[in-house]
Amino acid sequence: MKVPVSWLREYVPFDWPLDRLAAKLVFTSCEVDRIVTRGVPDLDGNLGRFLVGRVVEAGKHPNADRLQLCRVDVGEGEPRQIVCGAWNFGAGATVAVALPGALLPGAEQPLGEAKLRGELSRGMILSERELELGADHSGIMVLADGIDPGTPLADVLPLSETVLEIETGFNRPDLASVYGIAREVAALTGAELAPPPGTDPAPEGDDAVDVRVEDVEGCPRYLGRIFRGVTSGPSPAWLKARLLAAGMRPISNVVDVTNYVMLALGSPLHAFDLSLLDEGRIVVRRATAGEKLVTLDGTERELAPTDLVIADARRPVAIAGVMGGADTEVREETTDLLLEAASFEALTVLRNSRRLRLRSEASTRFEKGVDPHGVEQAATYASELLVALAGARLTGHTDVRGELPERPVVRLRPELADRLSGMTFPAEEQRETLRGLGFDVEGDRVTVPTWRAADVTRPVDLVEEVVRFRLEEVPATLPERAAASVQLTREQRLRRRVEDMLAGAGYSEAYTWSLVPPGEGRLALEEPYTTEMAALRTDLELGLVDSAERNRNAGVEEIALFEIGRVYLPAGDELPEEPLHVAGITEGGFFRAKGAVEALHDALGVPVGPVERVRGRAARTRYGRIAELPGGWGFFEVDLEALFADVPDAVAYEDVISFPPLKQDLAFSVDESVSAGDLIAAARAAAGPELRDLRVFDVYRGEQVGEGKKSIALAAAFQSPERTLSDEDAARLRELIVAALAERFGAELRA
Amino acid sequence: MDATALENEARTAIDAAGSADALEELRVRFLGRKSELKLALRDVRDRETGMALNAARKAIEEALEEREAALAAAVPEDQEPFDVTLPGEPIRRGSLHLLTQLRRRVEDVFLGMGYEVYDGREVETVWHNYDALNQPEAHPSRDPRDTFYFDEQTLLRTHTSPSQIRAMMAQEPPVYLISPGRTYRRDALDATHTPVFHQIEGLAVDRGITLADLRGTIELFVGAIFGPREVRMRTSFFPFTEPSVEFDIICYLCEGAGCPVCKHSGWIEMGGAGVVDPNVFEAVGYDPEEWSGFAFGLGLDRIAFLRHGLPDLRLFWENDLRMTRQF
Repeated sequence: MKVPVSWLREYVPFDWPLDRLAAKLVFTSCEVDRIVTRGVPDLDGNLGRFLVGRVVEAGKHPNADRLQLCRVDVGEGEPRQIVCGAWNFGAGATVAVALPGALLPGAEQPLGEAKLRGELSRGMILSERELELGADHSGIMVLADGIDPGTPLADVLPLSETVLEIETGFNRPDLASVYGIAREVAALTGAELAPPPGTDPAPEGDDAVDVRVEDVEGCPRYLGRIFRGVTSGPSPAWLKARLLAAGMRPISNVVDVTNYVMLALGSPLHAFDLSLLDEGRIVVRRATAGEKLVTLDGTERELAPTDLVIADARRPVAIAGVMGGADTEVREETTDLLLEAASFEALTVLRNSRRLRLRSEASTRFEKGVDPHGVEQAATYASELLVALAGARLTGHTDVRGELPERPVVRLRPELADRLSGMTFPAEEQRETLRGLGFDVEGDRVTVPTWRAADVTRPVDLVEEVVRFRLEEVPATLPERAAASVQLTREQRLRRRVEDMLAGAGYSEAYTWSLVPPGEGRLALEEPYTTEMAALRTDLELGLVDSAERNRNAGVEEIALFEIGRVYLPAGDELPEEPLHVAGITEGGFFRAKGAVEALHDALGVPVGPVERVRGRAARTRYGRIAELPGGWGFFEVDLEALFADVPDAVAYEDVISFPPLKQDLAFSVDESVSAGDLIAAARAAAGPELRDLRVFDVYRGEQVGEGKKSIALAAAFQSPERTLSDEDAARLRELIVAALAERFGAELRA
Repeated sequence: MDATALENEARTAIDAAGSADALEELRVRFLGRKSELKLALRDVRDRETGMALNAARKAIEEALEEREAALAAAVPEDQEPFDVTLPGEPIRRGSLHLLTQLRRRVEDVFLGMGYEVYDGREVETVWHNYDALNQPEAHPSRDPRDTFYFDEQTLLRTHTSPSQIRAMMAQEPPVYLISPGRTYRRDALDATHTPVFHQIEGLAVDRGITLADLRGTIELFVGAIFGPREVRMRTSFFPFTEPSVEFDIICYLCEGAGCPVCKHSGWIEMGGAGVVDPNVFEAVGYDPEEWSGFAFGLGLDRIAFLRHGLPDLRLFWENDLRMTRQF
């Protein structure tokens, strides 16, 4: 929210420098994003170059049809010649003038004297937009008569303004108004807080206000007032300037008043054209199916039975707390008004605005909660302004209310602040701080002000009120705790081992989105983020392929990536399982990937186990899969949860050192259909534990082995932990292997 | 005597000799007037022995000459052409993701302080993610425009805070833990937002835990990661802590002077924190009169992003090896 400082000072004349105040607010109350100055830059006497002028003569520029040549008295005795492009004034008009040397809002260079079509212009007659006092640029600003020429313009118009840009927390809806900030500033600085603005004008009539609240829960309070004899028109400059500084666009006096009061007091208001309300009636109710409403933004909206609406005798005329309807909006010819100052329940407004995907200044305030007790003051202030600025007469008033929330009474537990903060807050100091914030304190009985009623309900909430005022002073200590032994869990340790192993093997770690396109077995979001991110992944393949391809397209060489991440497996009514997987992608195809899988298992002391071909160049392993993907990528994925479960805690020593191994090479010719894995498994089964190692070192196909055959060369190491094996032992073991392979696979020993 | 053994011994010694002086010594030792060989030759009785000894003498003489020539021919070591500036044989090195590197550092800092690392879950119930954390029904973050839902009861966690609930429900106090992991919000995907990001939750529950303990812990952590620097706490709001604070550190680039990294404020936001709200304790069955605690949440991506001067958060997800290999 944007808080114009001149407005703030109207309610609390604090004497702290602004930067000190902002720094303090940051600690105690809310974020202060920026302090900005807007309007005419107030430096080096710049304001003195903006003066009130009276047009002495005005006529067509001799050389330009679209320009006026004026002589303007700015209190210097001799009028100045000024060329002007606007025609909405003539001789006698009181206008705003910038002299040469003046720096206009947003300008980089000061205004100079210039010859325009041959005529010297010694200044500039200003429009409200040029002064950032309004949006109008159709003509120059014509000021009220009776101001002496030469009067500093800053005396009659708010030429420059400093604005605090503030972000308030969800729990502090009371700060969403200038007066709310003023309350906080008063508590912080000790400056005196003015009473809330607004004095009721005397009623000038006795109109009945027909307000029927059918949904008290959604609308605990509806205050309606009728005004007659309204003259619609633009707002005065000061009001427009404030709205602009606060970030809202001036529209017309009536609408501006409702916005101004909302900004001042935090209570959103709405004005209906009374003559356009059927039977002049207001009904607060839920919409019925099929009802429609064109809102102020010109959009037709289908209403649902959950929507709370304001209706007249016949049809909805506003979405409660969100936006008014176009049909009943205040317009230029409006003379009679119904002003709504209401309190709508936060959740109702939130749902309304969510369902309709429509947010407004009003809805964002109601969503966080608007003090139902504050509604009356808002109505009062708006009434005062409508009478003063739109010539209105207050002719009717009604206040329909359900049960309004009581002010909470909370027990002050002075020891709690010390216990939770680690500081010392004397009980009396705590009471003082609370009083400063508008709490009524009698001993330990604390009555919470209405504007904080939703947030402060428990003793611990009072602690926050007290502690936040001295947050800068909180010391730094560490918990005093009993000794404890802590370490990573087994899974966390092993995960790090896998990360390090793969990084050491040349794989770079990737992070890919857990959200992927929808697909079978994937848990789908109710509302997709995008079509590409609509469901949870069940494996890591998509993301890695995408990243690998992206690297390849960028011309990167030696691509190898891995990811350790969760996959999400639906589990019926239960929350899905989220096992941790590792996957890798590499150039070099199936066997490059398989090498990584083997190294990974080796690093964890778990055998790879059987590798079964599933189809093409894809295989299943005990804990996952290996595949060659289009593009020649080698890919693997392993379920780490399953793998980790089989990792031995401590590997037992095997004696492979005392007695040397006997090494022999064996080559077998077998049918193509026989796999190396089967050969090795059969050989191991036949030879027993003395066959310590057996691995493939060559596969050969060619004339020498014949069509449909291949030769598999194996390197065998025979070894016993108990004795040195003899050549005879080796021959015996070799014989066992040869016989077994011949029998099972028809394998022939070559060479 | 054994002429072969003598010859072998001599050959070994000669091959090992590194200088002319050493060779001369060996000549005296093996062939000199008082050498074993010369003495044996003097005493020769039969032709066979004489031939054997003479053959050995000849062999030793030749070996000495050969070695002498070799030593003379040898180029001094530092004159041999050898370009040490040529590259080594390449070893392809992979690397850990920046966020993994940071996650581990943070884990290690807190392990050192006696915090366990707790792995929560990502698909959560509304109860764990919001209700148990005292999140008001009307809080805007519950909006499906901000939260990813699977159905009315199930969502992708929007923060790591549900880990607090799961951990506390599974054990009795005291509790000291951190919980890192992925979190999800329906943010735009741009240079400074991603719908998936990473947080580290921290929780300490014990007797007598205070806001001051929170500050001390954060300062220790910040010091470990960024080096000692000023930390400030300012008021904030989170439903699950009361009081709630936000903590900032002095910008490490400009040291507080103001620069684009800290958006000219001199401070960098690190995360949210506070004293555990009694409602949270009640949700998990802890007695708020006996126990107190603090909790904090750190945005890992943001910290890494700022620390390494990355221009765009999406780089964390693109896995471009040209970037990855820098770290």
